[in-house]
Amino acid sequence: MALNLTINTTNPPLGALLAAEHVKDSVKVSVEEGKDTRLHVSDVIQFSDCNSISRYLARVAPALGLYGSNTMEQTEVDHWLEFSAQRLCGNTGLAVALAELDKALSLRTFLVGHSLTLADISVWASLKGHVEWQSQGKSFSHVSRWFFFLNSQVPFSAVGNKYTKKNVPLT
Amino acid sequence: MFCPISAVPNMAPRELSALEKFLGLKKPHKYSTQGVKKVPVLQINSGPPLVGLGTIACHLVKEAKRPDLLGDSAESRAVVQQWIEHRVTKLDRCRKDDVKTFLKDLDHYLQDMVYLAGNHFTLADILIYYGIHPFMVDMAIHEKEQFINVTRWFDHVQHYPGVQHHLPLVTVLRNRIYTSRHH
Repeated sequence: MALNLTINTTNPPLGALLAAEHVKDSVKVSVEEGKDTRLHVSDVIQFSDCNSISRYLARVAPALGLYGSNTMEQTEVDHWLEFSAQRLCGNTGLAVALAELDKALSLRTFLVGHSLTLADISVWASLKGHVEWQSQGKSFSHVSRWFFFLNSQVPFSAVGNKYTKKNVPLT
Repeated sequence: MFCPISAVPNMAPRELSALEKFLGLKKPHKYSTQGVKKVPVLQINSGPPLVGLGTIACHLVKEAKRPDLLGDSAESRAVVQQWIEHRVTKLDRCRKDDVKTFLKDLDHYLQDMVYLAGNHFTLADILIYYGIHPFMVDMAIHEKEQFINVTRWFDHVQHYPGVQHHLPLVTVLRNRIYTSRHH
């Protein structure tokens, strides 16, 4: 089964790209640049939403634990996927969302469980692409620590460097 | 005379055996101890005996060909050595009431760090984890929250694959309860 991920380069889906990068040793995913973001699974099944794409990729590589290791963790991952799509994307209410995130991260290295999950990937991707995050980041020390820790890890730094530059002209 | 409450020095041979397992070393070494402080000693086939927790631990890491655990840059190598020295010279000599000072400094240090040497797991994390375990085991929830950064780091290290070994798991709540508490 070969998967094909097409990405919109003017608004690259960082979360989906990171998920693809993490599962690439277990699942074959080819990445192409194009007009719309789309994961081509088969002729009848295609996903265009960033979270749907990363959910699917995490599910076809269950051994990596990107979707958590039990139902409880899975639900937590879902919570953070929703959180990143709703609360970290708009232009208002970022400070409130960051305060909430900061509280959640005070006793955690990773958002869910004790290793990397889609929750980290998706929240990191939303913040990375957010214009206001850089100016507000300093007041949230736990979020900052977590963000820059992920930033320094290999798939994150690679994807971040490759795709965020193109994001700048948009802002 | 006041007897140091920390039982850590006697634990050294056990810690070193645990470290061997973590490193995946197949042949276990035999350790003896030296003096009243029970400093661990390792007699290796070639050369003079190795004395001291930090020295032996670094030797084991090299034997296992895991130099990354000693730091991946000149700076992080220095930081790793600094924390190993801290463990041996400060933490192991702490009495129960001094430990709070040690933990307070550590807490401040870990505010913006995931691991002791920054973004990479090293031997320093393992040895400090072993060293503060006896104190963390006895702490109440509100005390753990007083040292919130230590607690977070500790919980992460005890769940790091292969590290916990013989030590009992310390319960860490994943959300704060005493949010209004200042420290």
